[in-house]
Amino acid sequence: MPWINAASKLLVAASLAVLAGAQATPANTTSPGSPSPQPPEKPLLIMLDPAHGGTDPGARLTASTPEKEITLNIARRLKQELNARGILCQLVRDGDVTLPPDQRAAMSNAADPALYISLHASSLGSGMGIFTALLPDSGDNKGPFLDWDRAQSATLPRSKALQTQLVGAMQRTKFPTHAFSASLRPLNSLRSPAIAIEISPTTGDATQVSATGYQQMICAALANALASIAPSLRGNMGARR
Amino acid sequence: MTSRSFLVLSVCLLFLAIAMALYVWQLRSRAQSEATLQRPQLVTPPATGTLRQVTLWVAHDDPGVLRVQAVSIELSTERQRKSQEILRALLAIYTGKGSPHHLAAGADVRNVYFVNPGLVVVDVNSELADGQTSGILPEELTVASFVQTLAANSPEIVRVKFLVNGKERETLAGHVDFSNEYGVPQMSDLARQLSSE
Repeated sequence: MPWINAASKLLVAASLAVLAGAQATPANTTSPGSPSPQPPEKPLLIMLDPAHGGTDPGARLTASTPEKEITLNIARRLKQELNARGILCQLVRDGDVTLPPDQRAAMSNAADPALYISLHASSLGSGMGIFTALLPDSGDNKGPFLDWDRAQSATLPRSKALQTQLVGAMQRTKFPTHAFSASLRPLNSLRSPAIAIEISPTTGDATQVSATGYQQMICAALANALASIAPSLRGNMGARR
Repeated sequence: MTSRSFLVLSVCLLFLAIAMALYVWQLRSRAQSEATLQRPQLVTPPATGTLRQVTLWVAHDDPGVLRVQAVSIELSTERQRKSQEILRALLAIYTGKGSPHHLAAGADVRNVYFVNPGLVVVDVNSELADGQTSGILPEELTVASFVQTLAANSPEIVRVKFLVNGKERETLAGHVDFSNEYGVPQMSDLARQLSSE
């Protein structure tokens, strides 16, 4: 319903404004010359969003496997791999539930991760596509209130920098990986660095994407790549603080 | 009932059954021919136009790139009709045999509207949207090839908006946003990404 969407957007915008105010206050109260107190280090958090779910099956990759199942499997495997490398992860959905893009964005914005990753799978393409947001031309930011459809604009350069590093790290493993931008919800509405990853077969056979071995290999490689750019991710968190 | 009247009744019923069968057969043939006429078919550009060379940005699913291709087609002088004919030339490649980026048979551009300076609205039919392969890259290739093709042949176009059967649609096939207005400069950047192999 439109009024629910509008209300949720207003709530999120208001919370962003409050957060921005809260972040600005300590800097104003510190007297010049006195050593600034070190804030406790926030654990590195990556938000994993398995795309689709519930009534939205996504693409039908094989006769029996919808995209929503594959994205959830990959998200769970990737979480395990990242946890094993000491990186904290949170899943936007951990079951077959319907979540509209705005709700996904609101959940991620509330968690304030170092990186948001939307996970997709496709029968076309070759290997892995890593996408950043393709923002609408004009926005309607009003003071501290960000335009919902352009909330990503402030962090888009950092998203692109992380995309470049991640593509480089994946290409070093010889896995075919390409960088693109896409007009894809909910990337536009995220205030943290955000990317979408679309996994496709390397053999041209769509069943490869649903194979456990292929998913495991990709998740391990991706976790290694993310671990290798962890200092940059921590830098992102510092930059936003 | 006598055997004679029984025979007459049987013959009458037989004739009636044959007549009804013929009538049903005729109704079925008529319905089939009407359905054939109503099925959306790709309309070739009118032969009354002038033969011109146009630039098409053609999507190739393998390996997921856009390539520029020049073709000669008959074009109208009226700009809305001309843009529609150029997009139909692109669709003829996508729906034809050995297509590099498959779209469903019957996929068509219903209308192209030049709304105000710089903005063009492309109204496609549901066969195009419903038959689109779902996925970020396949959907993006379709959108980018349409926008780039329009901009390459009509430099005055700055923004492109899509409708499906005259109505807004959230996504093309579950991924790429189809309700946005696409700016030509931003799509040119994307086309550069999609053109590097």
